[in-house]
Amino acid sequence: MNKIFPKYPRILAIAPSTRGFGYAVLEGHKELVDWGVKSVTGDKNAGSMEKVEEMIAHYDPQVMVLEDALAKGSRRSARIQALTKRLIALAESRAVKVALFSQKQVRRVFFADGCGTKHALAEIIAKRFPEELGFRLPPRRRPWMSEDYRIAIFDATALAFAYLYRGPEAVEARQNDRHRIAESVKKSRRNAGERGRSL
Amino acid sequence: MALPQLPNYLRSNRKRLALSQGEVAFLLGSQSGARVCRYERFVCEPSLETALACEAIFKRSVSELFPGLYQKVEREVAARAGALAGKTDGRKPTRQTARKREALADLATLIS
Repeated sequence: MNKIFPKYPRILAIAPSTRGFGYAVLEGHKELVDWGVKSVTGDKNAGSMEKVEEMIAHYDPQVMVLEDALAKGSRRSARIQALTKRLIALAESRAVKVALFSQKQVRRVFFADGCGTKHALAEIIAKRFPEELGFRLPPRRRPWMSEDYRIAIFDATALAFAYLYRGPEAVEARQNDRHRIAESVKKSRRNAGERGRSL
Repeated sequence: MALPQLPNYLRSNRKRLALSQGEVAFLLGSQSGARVCRYERFVCEPSLETALACEAIFKRSVSELFPGLYQKVEREVAARAGALAGKTDGRKPTRQTARKREALADLATLIS
């Protein structure tokens, strides 16, 4: 009966991008249940929230893994940072555990020295799931090229793997995140208040 | 952490073969991909013929393609096996009833 009760939790990993977001649903190390890119037009954060909500209802994940856009040194845009905060709140309201990983932590899972390009990381993942992701591996990015939209799928899968291999680290980080997010929300409210007074 | 599996894994298997919903619908003999979409969203369950066609397309057994559904049916069968074993308890023990009880006990304990 072990076959129908997988040992590992179902993981939903989300990697926000300029188009919308890349996602991957994993059950353990071997089963990639779903993957892809959701494109959003118009209000990207609102659209992304709607789609993630649908995915949570459909897959009923135990854990949601996100990139730590609020980490010190993270260069993600204000929109992505705001989306991350909203996704955390959404997951918590649906009783889904949240795990955040910085780019550095993800790379440490795949590279011994913690250094490697996104493409190298995507190649490792494509080798891990050749049938599912092998044909979705984008060509190597040249200096004059923009990032391929498909790379978001590999980013999301990498995040899910980071959780599988370094779960406890994320849980520890999560305790600090709560404090940090609360602080950043307070700060943005304070700034908005000051701006309102000056007007 | 044990978790119940999804009703079916048609979507992942379809994507693995790089097929669209319309293409799978064509292989299943349906008019459009709408029905495949409904199966993938767990809105409806396929007929036995469709389930076997899925097995032929994806080269995976029906219980692997529909583990959630299989799990549900298995649980129901186990409950019925328990009830049937209770009914046969009062009967005169022969070799045939002993074999039957053994088979029903096996079925009932398989799930629990």
